[in-house]
Amino acid sequence: MANSIRLEIVTPERLFYDNRVELVIVRTLTGDEGFMANHAWACKLLDVGEIWIQEAGSKDFKIGAISGGFIDVKTEITIFTDAAEWPNEIDVERSKSHKEKAENWLKTHTRADADETEILRAKVSLNKALTRMHVAAGGARRKR
Amino acid sequence: MAGNGSMQDIKRRVRSVTSIEHITSAMKLVSAAKLRRAKTTFENTREYFHYVTESIEDIFNNVNDVPTKYLKSDREITTTCYIVITSNRGLAGSFNSNVIKRAEAEIAADPEKPYIIAIGSKGRDYFRRRNYEISGEYLRPPESISFIETHDISKPIIDLYDEGKIDEVVLIYTSFVSSLEQRVRTLTLLPFEIGNDPDVLPFEKQVEYEPSTEAVFNYLVPKYVEIMIYGAIVESATCEHAARRMAMENATDNAQTMIADLNLFYNRARQAAITSEITEIVSGADALD
Repeated sequence: MANSIRLEIVTPERLFYDNRVELVIVRTLTGDEGFMANHAWACKLLDVGEIWIQEAGSKDFKIGAISGGFIDVKTEITIFTDAAEWPNEIDVERSKSHKEKAENWLKTHTRADADETEILRAKVSLNKALTRMHVAAGGARRKR
Repeated sequence: MAGNGSMQDIKRRVRSVTSIEHITSAMKLVSAAKLRRAKTTFENTREYFHYVTESIEDIFNNVNDVPTKYLKSDREITTTCYIVITSNRGLAGSFNSNVIKRAEAEIAADPEKPYIIAIGSKGRDYFRRRNYEISGEYLRPPESISFIETHDISKPIIDLYDEGKIDEVVLIYTSFVSSLEQRVRTLTLLPFEIGNDPDVLPFEKQVEYEPSTEAVFNYLVPKYVEIMIYGAIVESATCEHAARRMAMENATDNAQTMIADLNLFYNRARQAAITSEITEIVSGADALD
């Protein structure tokens, strides 16, 4: 068994996760990154995306959706995010309608007639909806 | 007959006080239930606050090229932004007036023109009536506000701070001591007062910041403001329910004392009326003899 490290995932509303893990994969602003025990100390910003958690002694990954935040890697790992969900908490229908709304909005608006931040917001909203749908379906890309 | 009219009056008052008592005791029960719910949310949020504040302090103590605009020493303070958190509803005893009184004292002590942001309609109404300029207002019911929604409150504040239009952000809200005691608290959010605290030892290891220290810092500071505002709203909502519960309990008690007093008066008046009637009959009978 590989070394394990304590992982805490905190949202403003609740303690989302607190356990010992072998590996946690998150999406930082520069791309997907995995963290294991004895990682160099770091403090990185996270993008909207999936989180993959391999618990100590387990082969399988737990998957969740998180919406931005930061990861603090020291002798323990702390992830602070605005919102986090497990697959069973995700309302797929709602995510679908959000996705469609954001897509339609992006189709009808261009940089010429909309604010830069509004376009960014629509993109983030689209990204969140997609992530939720992927997570609800058991994770999008990485399958072991 | 003299007694009759006042007896009617007393009866009417007893009836009205009784119905008020019904309402206040119902409100007391409702507030008690809401207080319980609000308290759970409040305790959850408070538990996790320290993560962000600790991270910010860590960075302060370990990085030399922190953007100094958020530090106290580097900024001359002229315009102050006051965030005043009150409730949307009354009948909560002195809950709102305490916050408003403190806010007004702070604003009066400030020689510059204040920048007021009112969360909750009671505070907004008060300052608007007194012709203060309200720069922002948020009137959503505090118990249903989500963290994402507080972003709309904190974003303009951070933007103005970055632009230099405001130099200080002060939060005035009610903090929760216990269900029986709430205290008004004034908290300066920006700029930070934490300097290089000699008690906090720097890390023995190098910390990687990604994409850059500045980016991490520029993310954390607004997040800190957001979290503090969210926390204050949640705490203030808890206090509102606690204050209302107390106020309604007192009102119910007072109503009960009042009903007891009125019943006493009523019985006295009734007895006086009977006595005077008997006296009249007796004196009438005497007159016949």
